[in-house]
Amino acid sequence: MPHISLAAEKLWIIGGILPITNALLTTWLVMAMLFLFAYRASCRLTLVPSTIQSLAEMIIGGLYDFFHGVIGDHIKLVFPLIASLFLFIIIANWVGLLPGVGTIGFFHGEAVPAGRQEFTPLLRGATADLNTTLALAIVAVGAIQYFGFTSLGASYGGRFFDIRSPIYFFVGLLELISDVSKVVSFAFRLFGNIFAGEVLLAVMAFLMPFIVPLPFLMLELFVGFIQALVFSMLTAVFLNVAVSHGQEGSEGVSHNG
Amino acid sequence: MEQLGIEPTLLLAQVVNFAIIVVVLSKLLYTPILGMLEKRKAQIEEGIAGAERIKQEEAKLASRKEKLLLEARKEGHVILEEARKLAKEEEKQIIAQAHTEAEEIIAKGRVEVEALREKLMVEVRRESTGLGVAIAKRLLDKALGSQQQHAILGSHIKNAESLGEKYL
Repeated sequence: MPHISLAAEKLWIIGGILPITNALLTTWLVMAMLFLFAYRASCRLTLVPSTIQSLAEMIIGGLYDFFHGVIGDHIKLVFPLIASLFLFIIIANWVGLLPGVGTIGFFHGEAVPAGRQEFTPLLRGATADLNTTLALAIVAVGAIQYFGFTSLGASYGGRFFDIRSPIYFFVGLLELISDVSKVVSFAFRLFGNIFAGEVLLAVMAFLMPFIVPLPFLMLELFVGFIQALVFSMLTAVFLNVAVSHGQEGSEGVSHNG
Repeated sequence: MEQLGIEPTLLLAQVVNFAIIVVVLSKLLYTPILGMLEKRKAQIEEGIAGAERIKQEEAKLASRKEKLLLEARKEGHVILEEARKLAKEEEKQIIAQAHTEAEEIIAKGRVEVEALREKLMVEVRRESTGLGVAIAKRLLDKALGSQQQHAILGSHIKNAESLGEKYL
């Protein structure tokens, strides 16, 4: 049975503070892939697009139109955040499914009882690490609050703190709790799905290495896409609520979350 | 937290990583690609508008051409009609002129003929007088003496002259 660890394994520790985990390594790999693609796509932009440029236009234009339908004209402001969330999460999810990720690594520790050595994979799916997903969730929820404040000003605070009546006060408290819990739900939804998928694939590969894992691999590809979509879509929806909240709230009618 | 693998430094590192992704991708990917899409959209719209304009202009030109053609045809008709009328008038004029000319020629011919006759008459009278004298001389030479001859001849010539005046 392969060793399954909930936490990402530490490979090295830099300066005694920053541990380099295998998930962090994969994050850098994903970043490098994204930057390389971005550079290749946009280094020679022409009105008649090249293959890679038209691919980038299809992806970026598609994302733009899709999220424009969700969030309306605010998309101009928040598109970099939402598109980056989607692109990073989907590539990180799919890179985690590549052969070699989670299987190439090294043994260490005492080898006295054969097969009891500890195995540390060199790479681990970036989104199969809670640090990554929690960081993304904090950025997303932080951005929701940031854009809410910048677009509505101080009146955005009325969403959380309203003393016009005890009911509004209580509703504001609930809003606060729900926004904090958004961080947790974002982080654990993504982490749970991807980590579970990797465990599933590892177990399948252990039980029956040939053919049987294939449908599950397809399923995990789909899950990776869906989770990226869900994460960015929910961020867009919450952003939409946040930036348009005051427009309803100023009439003192509804407080939705 | 320890069991879940959450570490503040790693968390911060991932936040920074994601911030870098957002900044770099929006500089390198979103802005240029969306700008290019916008540019292409504008160009396509301009192209369509231009095509529409050209189409309208073409239709306008076609209608103008049709109108001009119609006008030209009408004008041509008018010109032709006028030319026909003019030609008819000229024909009449020419015919009239020819008539007068012919009459003039005829009159001139008549005058010439008259003059010729006159001339011939004078000649004939002179010759006939000469002939009469010669005949009479020959006849009288045979029958009469020269004195009688002269007397008779004189009277005959007078007769002949009166006769010639009478007949010619």
